[in-house]
Amino acid sequence: MSARPFSAWSHLLRRPVSAAGLGVVVLLLTLALLGPQLAPYGPNAVDVTRALQPPSMEHWFGTDDLGRDVLSRVVLAARVSLQVSLISVSIALVVGVVLGLVVGYFRGWADTVIMRVVDVVFAFPIMLLAIAIVAVLGPGVTTATVAIGVVYVPVFARVTRASALALREEPYVRAAAAIGAGPLRIIRAHVLPNVSAPVIVQTSLSLAFAILSEAALSFLGLGVQPPQPSWGRMLFDGKGFTDAWWMSVFPGLAIFVTVLAFNLVGDGLRDVLDPRRRSAMESRRDR
Amino acid sequence: MRRLSRWAGAALVLALLGACSPGTGVDRGLSKDGSGVVAAIAGEPDQLDPHRTSAYFSFQVLENTFDTLVEPGEDLVMRPGLAERWKVSEDRLTWTFTLRKGVTWHDGSTFGADDVVYSYRRIIDEKLGNAWRFDGVKDISAPDDSTVVLKLDKPVYNLLSRIGGHKGLAIVNKRNVESGKIKTRPLGTGPFSFDDYNPGESIRLKANSRWWGGAPKIPSLTFRFIPEPTTALADLEAGEINWTDNIPPQQVERVSQNEDLELDSAVGNDYWYLAANQDRRPFDDPRVRKAIAYGIDRKAVVQATQYGNATVNQLAIPKTNPWYAAYSPYSHNTRRAAKLLAAAGVRDLKIDMLVTKEYPETVITGQVIASQLEKIGITVQPREVDFATWLDKQGKGEFDMLMLGWLGNLDAEDFYYAQHHSDGDFNFQKYSSPEVDRLLEAGQKETGKKARKDRYAEAARKIADDASYVYLYNPDVVQAWAPQLENYKVRSDGAVRFRDVRLAD
Repeated sequence: MSARPFSAWSHLLRRPVSAAGLGVVVLLLTLALLGPQLAPYGPNAVDVTRALQPPSMEHWFGTDDLGRDVLSRVVLAARVSLQVSLISVSIALVVGVVLGLVVGYFRGWADTVIMRVVDVVFAFPIMLLAIAIVAVLGPGVTTATVAIGVVYVPVFARVTRASALALREEPYVRAAAAIGAGPLRIIRAHVLPNVSAPVIVQTSLSLAFAILSEAALSFLGLGVQPPQPSWGRMLFDGKGFTDAWWMSVFPGLAIFVTVLAFNLVGDGLRDVLDPRRRSAMESRRDR
Repeated sequence: MRRLSRWAGAALVLALLGACSPGTGVDRGLSKDGSGVVAAIAGEPDQLDPHRTSAYFSFQVLENTFDTLVEPGEDLVMRPGLAERWKVSEDRLTWTFTLRKGVTWHDGSTFGADDVVYSYRRIIDEKLGNAWRFDGVKDISAPDDSTVVLKLDKPVYNLLSRIGGHKGLAIVNKRNVESGKIKTRPLGTGPFSFDDYNPGESIRLKANSRWWGGAPKIPSLTFRFIPEPTTALADLEAGEINWTDNIPPQQVERVSQNEDLELDSAVGNDYWYLAANQDRRPFDDPRVRKAIAYGIDRKAVVQATQYGNATVNQLAIPKTNPWYAAYSPYSHNTRRAAKLLAAAGVRDLKIDMLVTKEYPETVITGQVIASQLEKIGITVQPREVDFATWLDKQGKGEFDMLMLGWLGNLDAEDFYYAQHHSDGDFNFQKYSSPEVDRLLEAGQKETGKKARKDRYAEAARKIADDASYVYLYNPDVVQAWAPQLENYKVRSDGAVRFRDVRLAD
């Protein structure tokens, strides 16, 4: 299996749009890791005498209503945004994939019960469910992360189960069972690697949605708590200041660019990981 | 006022009401005849029972539907309301009120002395939030249909402002209460009667042509709930509403220069404060609380929250109030603050601060003081919850520090007793000082204005010295309205009265 990701990466990088998306993602990760070193000012340094200054050489993105540097806050918000989305998608990924594999491979009553529960969760609009969860657990970064993780479990469970269902009928899986391999071994060695392609694509797309969800929750005051910077929260803070467009435009752009980048990478991954699409691409190129 | 206080915050910020603009009102099903006034307030009343609600938004509406025996005039001096006149016995223990004749309830039934007795007994017997206002009252009786007698067991200097200071002491209708309808369809004697309630949207009142003070000149008065200040202002500018007190502070200056709108402000009797939970360590140590008081820069807080539309204050009572006493022990002094913290042996202090979006100034202040107190090694972590949760946490003492405002206070006692007396109903910070208790109790017994003022001033100084509350500022009462709305006046007590308002053309 190790050959495939390798070739997938090189395929991906050969597509300019996907490569650009990947470039932005790498840049964001760098910002997240080095944010405190890169930001020109402290994100929470209030100075009301410098409030609402438009962008200038000193403050590239201007200052907000409390005189804080918008650029510094946008940069530092990248960390919390990526942190929430990575952790929440990891939760969804692990829980969803395990559930999907188990019920997809074993079927039986567990499949019926678990998938109906998943259907129920799936039936809720994602934001509504996340808001409900945060309302119960109380606002904050941790609960927002958990809430976003929970609402994305069904997607992963469904994607994994669908693949596992098909895989369990494959001759090599039956052959493995025939020579006495246990179910755990079969799942680990034969099923899991073959569900990874759709799951990887789903992960990338979910990261984009998770970033949007975090921004939305923070906008509503349910996610990141002030004064910690967050893009969604900055949008909320900026909406009372129609003249100070920089308070809203820059965090808005940050969300836009980030979500777009993850989507581009996800689209690219889908194309290169799907054998049918990939062969179509290759034949086009060969022509 | 105590009850008011919670919502006070919001209220302070801005309230506007709009006179109506025909056309747009119709679209929303409000003011169907197109000739009423539409006022936007910043939130929805929790309920409309004046004795049980503590929400400012409720009182904004109820101010116009209920009456009290006496009520504050513009100068905050008590004037006749449902009582036409009153007299006090020589020993100051018997107060006899003579009621107006011919007053009717909104349903047409006759109002009488029994209604007053019923209302007061309800507050006392059910131990409602305003029961403390009757401390010292041992008997309430109605010798005839237009006379009410209050017998006291000790002289109460400020009895009139206690029973007339706000609509929590409104005279209510027994049938209305017992049927339970008072919560959603209150029946009063005031200038406007209840007409329609559209939950989440608006409350419509209509003029009471039989009101004892003369029929209002506008046929209807609709309160719309618009929590978002920018929306309220935009609606005012678009003519969808005629009045609002919900003006974004940063826009006050711009609105005041807009010739198409009227804007006025009055120095408010509301105040905003920080309170640390003295049931929790290390806030039981006055040095820690004082360090906070020295560590914050009130001017920056006022600039950030009110855009200068407020006065920094270190005691609750503002300069314009007759009970004002000057005292300002705290300057912004980080070195002193750090020393006090060191003396208290406190290091790496983390403060869990309750804030709520319903009162945006709390969220903003949380961030401002987080930045200020960081310099003396205190980490302030604002925790934003909805206001219902906020009240619950305050009641259970689940906070390190909180910020809120008190609104609607008039008399010196209102500002200090319930908040700082050991047995005070609103002493959620758990402050306890035998000296302050003694002074506050002495203030209640004094009959001379000067001596009374001295007692409260002394108590206030001690409260400030101990930093039971860390006082921040008195915000201005700022309201804006359309010019067609004539004869509206901004009051320093924040009461929103539409009884005398006229609509041009």
